[in-house]
Parts: sequence; structure tokens; C-alpha cells
Amino acid sequence: MKIITSCLVASLFFLGGCAATVTEAGYYWGDYSQTLYKYTKDPNETTLAAHVEELEDIISTSDEKGLKVPPGIHAELGYNKARQGNDTLAMGHYEKEMSLYPESRLFLERLTVEADKGSDQS
Amino acid sequence: MRNILLLLIAGIVMSGCAAVPVTDTKQSAYPAMYTDAKPISMIIVPAINESTAADAGDLLNVTVTQPFANHGYYVMPVSIVSDIFKREGILEGTQVKGIPASLFKKNFGADSVMFMTITEWDKNYAVIAGNVSVGIEYVLLSTETNEVLWSYTQHVVVDTSGGNSGGGLIGSLIVTAITTATTDYVPIAFQVHQRASGALPYGKYHPKSGQDGADNVVNIAAKDAALSD
Repeated sequence: MKIITSCLVASLFFLGGCAATVTEAGYYWGDYSQTLYKYTKDPNETTLAAHVEELEDIISTSDEKGLKVPPGIHAELGYNKARQGNDTLAMGHYEKEMSLYPESRLFLERLTVEADKGSDQS
Repeated sequence: MRNILLLLIAGIVMSGCAAVPVTDTKQSAYPAMYTDAKPISMIIVPAINESTAADAGDLLNVTVTQPFANHGYYVMPVSIVSDIFKREGILEGTQVKGIPASLFKKNFGADSVMFMTITEWDKNYAVIAGNVSVGIEYVLLSTETNEVLWSYTQHVVVDTSGGNSGGGLIGSLIVTAITTATTDYVPIAFQVHQRASGALPYGKYHPKSGQDGADNVVNIAAKDAALSD
């Protein structure tokens, strides 16, 4: 009964019938918290790859559904690409984050500068 | 519809709280959030974990982005932010306490900074049921003026014994079934933030931004609101 009520309440919230995983602000997050938690608890190549895959899936699913990619997803994916040495892909994602969310600009520009410094030192 | 939700919110909050909560409209509870001081972006610093559970910090840190972003704010990517802090030798919020809020504006471009203090994360086991009792305080400061924009004390008992406790349905929720076999605390931490974010006025990226001033809220300001001092 509780579950039925819950579902009714939940379904009233979402505009689309099958959009149960899209929030009121219009975001799709997939399993973001879960994969991030697994990576945070046990940072290794496998957990990182799973989280990066999740970020990529959030972007492609959002695109398919015509949704705005949630805050931070492009930034996080770009950050991971930068750490893998793929600066071109990283910049592409940072640019997308900045065009979706202009308030991320200062942060991402500084991040790029810091990353450059880091690679100069190493 | 709204009334049902308010009842739900009130029921949840009141059930876990010893103090008599004051019901207020959002606008009178958090007036600064209805002025130009309302932030668009927030940086969330790693939680201060005063509970006895070592894992509570990670659980609440990784799950905080979604509910607050869903509420209409640009949340600076928590995983990148925590990496930056780690490089600076900062592992949890206590170390950030003395830093002037304006530095978060200068270095991250964030309009606001949110501190979280976990006061309780206690797992209780019983024969047929289990729950987690969670206490958490949120303080949102303006990085322009250092003033407290919003603060909230959350004390909830989240059922871990299967099914859905019904409490996580406020606002925008991914309904997650919690199973008894292996208790997954990620959705529980998520629900805790979800409930608290419900008391925050909607941000710019939410369709109801600026329209919720008359909504009722159970106003439980964090007692340690002047956290940055």
C-alpha cells in the first residue's frame, strides 16, 4: 500500500509517463551516486572506469531524451579525460559545461591552468 | 497535492526531532534567499564527521550533489573539489572552518559555500527491522557577504528493512527500493539530503525558482550556524 501510494505521488511529479528517472529540474543521473561511491571507497582502475562509463551514459541518455546534462557531469568527465592525458577531449567537455552552466567558467578555467602547471612540473 | 507533501515533510522531520519545530513560510524563514543575495552556484566542502561511523562522511559527500542540483543550484563537482582539497591537505570540513567564505568566490567562482556536520549516523538492528538514525546540520553561507543564507538541522530515522519508507519522495526522486539482504547505505544517505534540500528555496535551474516563498517549511536552523567563525 505504502509503495502504491509512493508510486502515485512519484508519478504525479514527473511529466512524462516513463520518465521516472528524470527529476523536476529535468535531469537524468543514472547510477551517479553509486558509481561515485564505489570509486571513492576503493579507487582503482575498475571503479574509475565504471564511474567514467556512467558519466558517459548520463550524457548520451540525456542527449537521447533531449534533456540538459546535469551540473558537473561534463566537468567531471573532462577532468577524468585530462588526467588520462587527453586534453582535447577534456577541453571539449569543459566547454560544454561552461556553455550549459556559465557559473562554472572561473572554476574550470582555473582547473585548466592548474593542470597545465602540474604537467609542467612533472 | 502540496498539502500531502507538507504533511509528509512535517511527519518526517517531526518524528525525529525533540525540539518543537516552528512552521514558517520559506520567505520569512530564509529572507536572503529571496533577494539578490540568492546564490546560483554552491561549493560543498567535505562533511565534518562527528558521528561514530567512519563511512558516514564518504556516504554523505558522494550523495549530496544530486539532491541540491535537482533543487536548482549549480553544485561545483564534488569529486573534483574534494581532489583539490586533498592536494591542499584538506580531508574534511573542520580544516576549512577558518577560511573566509570569500576565498571560495575567488578560487572557485562559487556564490555560496555549504558546510555539513554529521552529528549522528547510528545503525540499529532488530530482529525484523533495521534503521539508521542520522543527524546532520547544513549551513549555507554567502561568499559575498559571509552571511548565513540557509541552515537546517536534519534528524531522521531511515528504515533499512525493505520497501520504501515513503520519505524520500519529496521533490524529485528516483525511487530506490532498499533491500534487506545487503543494506545499501547510498540511497539512505541520498534520502537524508533529499529531505533537507526540500527545505531550501528552489534555485535558478528549477522551474519553481522564485515561486516558493509562500510554501511552508519546518524551520529548524542549525544551532552551529555561525560555523565559519
